[in-house]
Amino acid sequence: MPITPNTDRIRDAALKYMFPHRRGWIEMAEEGGPLVAVKGNGIRITDSEGQSWIDVNGGYNSVNVGYGRTEIADAAHQQAQKLSFFPAGTATEPTIRLAEKIAQITPGTLNRTYFVNGGSEAIETGLKIARAYHKRNGDHGRYKIISRKNSYHGFTGGVVWLGGAPGAGRDDFEPAYPGILHVPQPLPYRCELGGTNPSECAVLCAQAIEETIKFEGPESVAAVIGEPVAAASGAPGEEYWPMVREICDRYGVLLISDEVICGFGRTGKMFAVEHWDIVPDILTLAKGIVSTYLPIAATVIKKEIADAFAGADNKLIHTLTFSGHPVSAAAALKNIEILERESLVKNSEVMGAYFKEQISSLMVDHPILGDVRGLGLLIQMEFVSDRNTKEPFPKETLLPTRLNQGFKKHGLILRAVGDTLAIGPPICITRDEIDEIVHAIDLTLWEVEGQLGIAKTT
Amino acid sequence: MKVDTLNSEEIQQLKSAALEHLWMPSRDWVEISEQGGPQIAVDAEGIRFTDSEGKTWIDVRGGYASVNVGYGRQEIADAAYEQMLNLHYFPQTSTTEIQVKLFEKLAQITPGKLERAWATTGGSEANETAIKMAKSYHTRIGESGRYRIIGRKGSYHGATQGVMWLGGYSNLTDFYPAYPGIVHAPQPHPYRCERGGQSASECAVLCAQAVEDLIKFYGPSTISAIVAEPVTSSVGNAVPGDEYWPMLRQICDRYGVILIADEVVTGFGRTGKMFGLEHWGVVPDIMTLSKGISSSYLPIGAAIVTNEIADRFGSDEDHFRQALTFGGHPVSAAAALKNMNIIESENLVEHTASVGKYLSDHLHNLMDQYQFIGDVRGIGLMQTIEFVKDRTTKESFDKSIGLGEKLTEKFRNQGLLLEASETMVSFTPPLCITSSEVDEIIRVVRSSLEETSKELSLH
Repeated sequence: MPITPNTDRIRDAALKYMFPHRRGWIEMAEEGGPLVAVKGNGIRITDSEGQSWIDVNGGYNSVNVGYGRTEIADAAHQQAQKLSFFPAGTATEPTIRLAEKIAQITPGTLNRTYFVNGGSEAIETGLKIARAYHKRNGDHGRYKIISRKNSYHGFTGGVVWLGGAPGAGRDDFEPAYPGILHVPQPLPYRCELGGTNPSECAVLCAQAIEETIKFEGPESVAAVIGEPVAAASGAPGEEYWPMVREICDRYGVLLISDEVICGFGRTGKMFAVEHWDIVPDILTLAKGIVSTYLPIAATVIKKEIADAFAGADNKLIHTLTFSGHPVSAAAALKNIEILERESLVKNSEVMGAYFKEQISSLMVDHPILGDVRGLGLLIQMEFVSDRNTKEPFPKETLLPTRLNQGFKKHGLILRAVGDTLAIGPPICITRDEIDEIVHAIDLTLWEVEGQLGIAKTT
Repeated sequence: MKVDTLNSEEIQQLKSAALEHLWMPSRDWVEISEQGGPQIAVDAEGIRFTDSEGKTWIDVRGGYASVNVGYGRQEIADAAYEQMLNLHYFPQTSTTEIQVKLFEKLAQITPGKLERAWATTGGSEANETAIKMAKSYHTRIGESGRYRIIGRKGSYHGATQGVMWLGGYSNLTDFYPAYPGIVHAPQPHPYRCERGGQSASECAVLCAQAVEDLIKFYGPSTISAIVAEPVTSSVGNAVPGDEYWPMLRQICDRYGVILIADEVVTGFGRTGKMFGLEHWGVVPDIMTLSKGISSSYLPIGAAIVTNEIADRFGSDEDHFRQALTFGGHPVSAAAALKNMNIIESENLVEHTASVGKYLSDHLHNLMDQYQFIGDVRGIGLMQTIEFVKDRTTKESFDKSIGLGEKLTEKFRNQGLLLEASETMVSFTPPLCITSSEVDEIIRVVRSSLEETSKELSLH
């Protein structure tokens, strides 16, 4: 196993020169500095001290085909040796092939792709196209975007305001982008509108979208955006997406499906909208498109929508320097080839069902587990201090800190945030590997319950 | 060059697939189809690339003013490959040696106390990050009323919605409503000074004073930051008078406003210094970088900030609230480090200063020859010639006479990928360009100007 001799120096420099994602460096220093990853294979990485870990979330639910795929590196290297970038206004073979491939595998008439570099930019592009499309149609007043509370759509200025929950930190960045409206999240376990089962919650939450459109005036609404399966909230009841599609059609509102997380097999279908057989007008993709081997993302547009931008007078003025990078595109093509060749979408469906079943079975022994939800290999657990009232744990119990210490002790890279724990491993995961993870979570829950003096009551 | 062999059938298939499925940046497929499908680049080296028909071109724009070390650097491809074979990505809250090395390197080569960086996938995100950082900083120090951002008319800071309004609103009507709280200062463009300055210095002073006036008008307690490019490429490489940047720095300090220097274009040698602001000895509070950071070999960008700002985000409680999955990707970081290594080892920054001067001298010679060139301007290897009907009135030509199209076509016919408009042509080649390659470009530009001037009876 590789051991990096200068680990301390790397850690010191990291603490001094970088902004870690979602953390400060003061506590990180107290914990001895960040983990330095040096090698990866499948669902595991090795750190600079030679210790092996399971990366339960595969990056940010993003390493779909797993670590260590030499053939993706080879494909990228081969392209980089020929042409590593393109002169402005030209196209390159891998980018064209990738656009063609995406048109083939996405449902319906989704067949034109604008490439960008990450999920935030894909959604920015989707919103810009939605607003510009209505203007092309003479509907100049349609500028509002309807989004759902507790969703997440990225961090750039136009999309950071779409999602979030109270306390998500958006108040750091006021003022908010104008014209963004929020409707309830169809989360069955805590239905804001009081639905007592997934179906009821789905119907009520879909109706809330229609009411919002009517209240605001359909002529002012450009689009509805949502993740088919929200990483934080699981899958909605069956009625939700077909109803939302119908409502959008009725009022001439575009439907944007954000599949940055869900796409490329994460939920057990190639794209999550396939679970409900609906076709959005705009589909946003990132992460799994390339299993994070290199930065690339995509905004895929229905032909009927894209056609409004044909012709010199109608074109969309929108350029990002690295858009459609040929080396990233070559990596993405190879990644999709692996997904297909190894039937990883099917594996995600089967292993996802198994994983959820195994996690659900922990509910028997662990009263702190309130809900297990999700679809495919996008699973979430929610912890409660009382299953009947669904009351969360008080902050002073330090539940997430205790859980995270337990996971670390048992070799998992997995981080509880607040009362929830999200799981999104590489979708090449095997049954044995799931057993290993579930066992480590089980042990951790026993330990934390012991620390908190909680015993099984029934 | 390693010319790729695509047969004519494959080329046709690729072109029709592109027309049907690809949405190219700021292009449309009907127009491209009328031109016979998109030009497909297959191979490149130095300042040249080869297209699918086997024809070789000089990329005078160098990508998007972004391919600083030139095309075909095998060692960058290899560095990226090596990293990808070891580890292509990393688990949340962990890091990798290569990323840390990149951050350390950025801290070393940027001036002053710019020391801690947040890495992104490109320039738009770098500027988004800078603005969010400025606003969060003011929130952290109890000045949350500072929400306004000052941009400058005609500037360009990216295509995402937090930054695309910074340069003004007129060409963005497709995307209304605009982001609130953005106010606009005049552009210190010596040739066309909005404030009527008669010299570069006068224009600089007037435009810097205009920033102070804006701050006073809205109230300093409402202003978070000003974002500006050291040299503004979007108005044709306008270089402000020497007074501008030192005055801006002083004004920002006086009113507690954060100075964000957008060095996405000007960074990494483009102006003949490693960073554009070094020409004026000014250190910003936040500097944004992209393009030349990796010479476009892979997508990456960064916002680097002073410790004074960064220190407000040190604890978990106060952390900067942002995560971007692909931001500062380890494989892109490997490419970026190797790229910087080449810039340094081949002395490309000094080279840019001298070859840029050589290019500029040639363009001035053309101006002596053609009355319809009203201005030659720029710095390093970002140079522009501007066309006018009349040097006194500085009136531009109508689009209808087709000056831009005629020139562009003549450039194309002689193997230059270089776009002219009715108002200007800009030159941003790879920094490794040699003086004989400059001669080659100038020969084509000269003959194209000569022929076009005859066709349109210009002088």
